[in-house]
Amino acid sequence: MSISRRVTLAWVAAAATLPYAASAQTAAPAPWSDATIAPLTAAGYGQDPNLQHPSVPWPLTLNSHQREALRIAADLMLPADSHSPSGGTLHLDAFIDEWISAPYPDQQRDRALILKGLDWLDAECRQRSGKDFAGSSDEQRRAVFDLIAWRKKIAPGYEQAAAFFARMRTLMMIGFYSLPEGSADIGYMGNTPNLGPYPGPTREALAHFNQAMTGLGLKPAG
Amino acid sequence: MKQDAAKAGGLTRDFDPDVVIVGSGAAGGMAAYVLTRAGIKCLILEAGRDYDPLAETAMFQTAAQAPLRGASTPDKHFGYFDATANGGWQVPGEPYTNAEGSTFKWWRSRMLGGRTNHWGRHVPRFGPYDFKAKSRDGLGMDWPISYEDIAPYYDRTEKLIGVAGANAGLENHPDSGPGVLLPPSKPRIPELAIKAGANALGIPCVPSRYAILTRDKPHPHAPRQACFNATPCGRGCSIGAAFQTTTSLLPMAMGTGRCRIITNAMVSRVLTNERGRASGVEYFDKTGTPRMVKARAVVLAASACESARLLLNSHAAGAKQGLANSSGQVGLGLMDTTGTNITGQIPALENRPRFNEDGMEVAHLYIPFWLYKEQAAGKLDFPRAYHYEIGGRFGAPGGNPAGGLEDGYGASLKEDARRYYGSFVSFTVRGEMIPNAESYCEIDPEAKDKFGIPVLRFHWKFSDHEYRQIGHGMKTARDIIHKLGGRVVTPELPPEKAIADGGWIIHEVGTTRMGASRSDSVTDSFGRTWDVDNLVVADGGVFTSNAHKNPTLTIMALAWRSMDRLAERMKKGEV
Repeated sequence: MSISRRVTLAWVAAAATLPYAASAQTAAPAPWSDATIAPLTAAGYGQDPNLQHPSVPWPLTLNSHQREALRIAADLMLPADSHSPSGGTLHLDAFIDEWISAPYPDQQRDRALILKGLDWLDAECRQRSGKDFAGSSDEQRRAVFDLIAWRKKIAPGYEQAAAFFARMRTLMMIGFYSLPEGSADIGYMGNTPNLGPYPGPTREALAHFNQAMTGLGLKPAG
Repeated sequence: MKQDAAKAGGLTRDFDPDVVIVGSGAAGGMAAYVLTRAGIKCLILEAGRDYDPLAETAMFQTAAQAPLRGASTPDKHFGYFDATANGGWQVPGEPYTNAEGSTFKWWRSRMLGGRTNHWGRHVPRFGPYDFKAKSRDGLGMDWPISYEDIAPYYDRTEKLIGVAGANAGLENHPDSGPGVLLPPSKPRIPELAIKAGANALGIPCVPSRYAILTRDKPHPHAPRQACFNATPCGRGCSIGAAFQTTTSLLPMAMGTGRCRIITNAMVSRVLTNERGRASGVEYFDKTGTPRMVKARAVVLAASACESARLLLNSHAAGAKQGLANSSGQVGLGLMDTTGTNITGQIPALENRPRFNEDGMEVAHLYIPFWLYKEQAAGKLDFPRAYHYEIGGRFGAPGGNPAGGLEDGYGASLKEDARRYYGSFVSFTVRGEMIPNAESYCEIDPEAKDKFGIPVLRFHWKFSDHEYRQIGHGMKTARDIIHKLGGRVVTPELPPEKAIADGGWIIHEVGTTRMGASRSDSVTDSFGRTWDVDNLVVADGGVFTSNAHKNPTLTIMALAWRSMDRLAERMKKGEV
């Protein structure tokens, strides 16, 4: 891992100002690492894996601290409500560990983003409260999320952290809604044999559709 | 399937084939079906491994059961559960190369049934204009056949493989004969929306035609069930509803007792005798040992580029560049289908009532080309046609249900997922490319595969014809999305950037084209090579042009016609 002199200096500077940063609401964003993340060399599942008994052949690579941060982030990202449990409860940290530990190009790109992003979250939280992300309160964590989570309200200087957040969110969405609990939340009703001709939309679905088309000045389906 | 001969690693002594067929996909499966029914003994050589869809297909497995939630990877481009085994854009040990400045991608599938285990199964017919396109616009070449020559074979092929669809009675989109098609499926809500938007712009949107059964198809050796309206067709189909040769043509041919299959048999060249006729083929078995098989006739069904490679790597006495290549045309005329995608989000479809929207998995409606009259009148700035394969549904989870439109985090993020799920519509543009002198394949002077067989080098270039056509397709799709009050989600790129790379649509054809004259084509209208009387090309290599209509149905119909002729000639003793 090579860390540029510029970033190292920035870290030193950030550490030096720590006691003050906690009270300074206008602190500069924590630095974004430009370190090179070493590529993983584990084997993939190959072009002819067993489809009846799938398995993940590569080892997981996140440490317990990173997993804890992701679990907390998943609870904030997708909190429990009357439709489904929270992201942390559904082990999205484990899914993201599996994802960024995979030896494929897309996943390796995500790996660099997520690893740096988790470091950044800790640094930003320390800068603000003296504690890392896991040690911060939900209120403090939300204050950091609010700088990077909303497309049109990304704080200046926080663009790289916002890109990390958006990718983490996408991965958590993929992980969450592909599970039975997430699938039930959005109301997926398929993947079950339906013998005979496909029945098509329900009467209720068709009525909703026809009203929508009429609203657009288009011909309803009849 | 299990084949005794394959298990034994070679030919049994008691089986002496009349015809050797290279490849077990759409063309090879059809060749074996037609020839064995005519009493001819066939040996199929398949480069890939044996494959049993009944035991191996992942039907109801969910994304959550797969590594990475089933996401696309370089190992499994179409996702973990996709049917393709030992295949993809790269096959280990079997490289291909691109000439400088070219980006052509070549999809191969090293398994019994080849690329029929995973394919789109969208099977529109070529129409009368498509066989005589040069006569209409002066570009490319006319086919040596007309629609009338192939129409009966379209009927037969559709009936054999099973096609759900409806006759739309539209210009250059021929209807099937009476009783040929199986009933289509009722449209989903997003498809009805696209139809409403398209119709308001004067654009048709009609039942699609897919090689999927909506009625049971009994057969003593290859019984197939009607679609049960669930599970993705790209994974293959263990009940046989979605057509693939491994649940249909291959067991049907085997059932005659006149067919053997050897898997893991990589054919390296066509053998010829002193009279210049094909005498059989050489192949490498799974141990890498070269073996020879003799036959009265050889049928190439290895896929357009693989068959061209075989010819170019075979050498007839006195010929300077490959077999059946006195015209110098082998490898030239390479075409793919043009393609791009446009997705829109329709607020009117947000939070719509839920129901099971799986259906046949494929789109139940599609948009055929509708501007032939305008094109003939010179009102369009591009030649040839395109169609849209459309999409949108409450899809099986595995991706992001909010489609990238989500924002922020917390309770509202979950609301975003519910709101946007099922509110998207997609348009997949598929258009006709004009063959050009800069798109072809040839033997790479240096590179060889793991068997020591010289590999293909591709040259590729699109022209303004394709760019303008894609541009028109993108604009019209946006118009339909806007008509529905929607927003276009796909970033707006110029056509040169939006068009898929050559080969990406996996409709590569034309490298051993048929023609009316031996001077400018490789085969006659029955796939018989002009130079070698008992050598027939049955795959997409014979395409003279590549209408936007997905090629597999036409490959099979042509293969049937060519095999009928071969069988007739063999019976007369001409072969």
